[in-house]
Amino acid sequence: MTEQHANPEDSDLYALGALDGQELQAFEAHVRSCSKCAQEVEAARRQVTLLGLAAPAAAPPPSVKESLMRRVRAERVPEMPWTVRRQEAAKPVRVSSFAWLTPAFGTAAVFFAALAALIWMKDLRDSKQIENLQAQLAVAQAQSVQIAKAAADADQLVGSAGTMRVALAQQPGGPSARAGVLYNARMGAVMYAGEMPPAPAGKSYQLWLVPASGAPVSLGVFSVTDPSMPMSAHVPPGMVAKAFAVTLEPQGGMPQPTGPKVLVGVVS
Amino acid sequence: MTASMQPVPDSALVERIMAGDESALAALYDRYAGMLFAMLVRILRDTGAAEEILQDLFLQLWRGAARFDANRGSMAAWLLVIGRNRAISRLRGRERREILEDPQEFSFESLPSSGNLEDEASRMQLMGRLKVGLATLPAEQREALELSYFEGMTQTEIAAKTGSPLGTVKSRVRAAMQTLKQYFDDGTTRQPGRL
Repeated sequence: MTEQHANPEDSDLYALGALDGQELQAFEAHVRSCSKCAQEVEAARRQVTLLGLAAPAAAPPPSVKESLMRRVRAERVPEMPWTVRRQEAAKPVRVSSFAWLTPAFGTAAVFFAALAALIWMKDLRDSKQIENLQAQLAVAQAQSVQIAKAAADADQLVGSAGTMRVALAQQPGGPSARAGVLYNARMGAVMYAGEMPPAPAGKSYQLWLVPASGAPVSLGVFSVTDPSMPMSAHVPPGMVAKAFAVTLEPQGGMPQPTGPKVLVGVVS
Repeated sequence: MTASMQPVPDSALVERIMAGDESALAALYDRYAGMLFAMLVRILRDTGAAEEILQDLFLQLWRGAARFDANRGSMAAWLLVIGRNRAISRLRGRERREILEDPQEFSFESLPSSGNLEDEASRMQLMGRLKVGLATLPAEQREALELSYFEGMTQTEIAAKTGSPLGTVKSRVRAAMQTLKQYFDDGTTRQPGRL
């Protein structure tokens, strides 16, 4: 029986992203089961990748690199003790403010303490406590910016219609970890807070959005030095989460999850 | 060529970035920003937007350098693929499905290794060959290829824009790619899985 192969021109068009309609679907279905045509696609991809080099020469102004390096330096996260934040986060009196937690999630309420601490920052603005906190935050400006942003994000998320709270449940065999996510699909915003033990050497925790369809999307890699740092992220437009998960990955994270699940929470 | 003239491999620069070495990012920027910016400006025809995407690409590289395994693929190719994808998404005002970014299909092995692109002289030579190759294509073939690559048009859109039958568009793109192949093939680009 003679094997039917796709038209060679379709490999080129596919690599260019120009194949469309039913032809695209049929081509992809064929290539998945035809090694010869898959090789044609790979060859075309390699060629297409470098077509951009044929563009007329143009040089970016020096200001682009200067701005890039400023942003890189601003993102540096220096070492800093987080005792104050964690102590504040551990205050039990505030746990009652999480009345939204269902009984099933009640035991997880205390684990949202880190998230609560961020929300409380607004309330504490005029207090002595915030002065102390601010004094310590000033030691590391980059991290304070991150916290302020997280606090602002939390304020905005908590006050917005449609914001959901998703408790992330510890997984069997995983480390003792407690966390939750604020998620607003309309705003495309996610905020994570929790308490995590340090990741093993050479490993990082990574937060994922599991969409209703398609592959998980990375929302960020946890700080190696402080995996309990809050994180905020933006969800790609149009993407709706059905769950959130934290996995243990090689240090620096992976494009797709490869390691064991540490925390999982389903969006109800 | 003496050892001191050999470019620092992308893989070594990536390792230094992972260790927090800003100068390594600056070195990769110096190496690839020119070729990327040229492509971005050609697609967007807007230097401001091109600058923005260029900066974001390298910022993403700084944040996620650990994701790259230079033994399995090319930093330059990744920058070109992602840069083109973002530029066309911006140009067309829609998210564009990019096969090399699709997690289900992405394969580092499918990307050309840095190889000759790490060396500026070789990179410039390749750029020169491709420009010549593209310029010498028959006008209708060049138009079809450019509308696809630089404008992000599908075959149907190209057919509508040029008033040509779909089959003709396919043939033109194929002919253009076949002609350009000789400009890629200089002896350094024929390793399996590599360019």
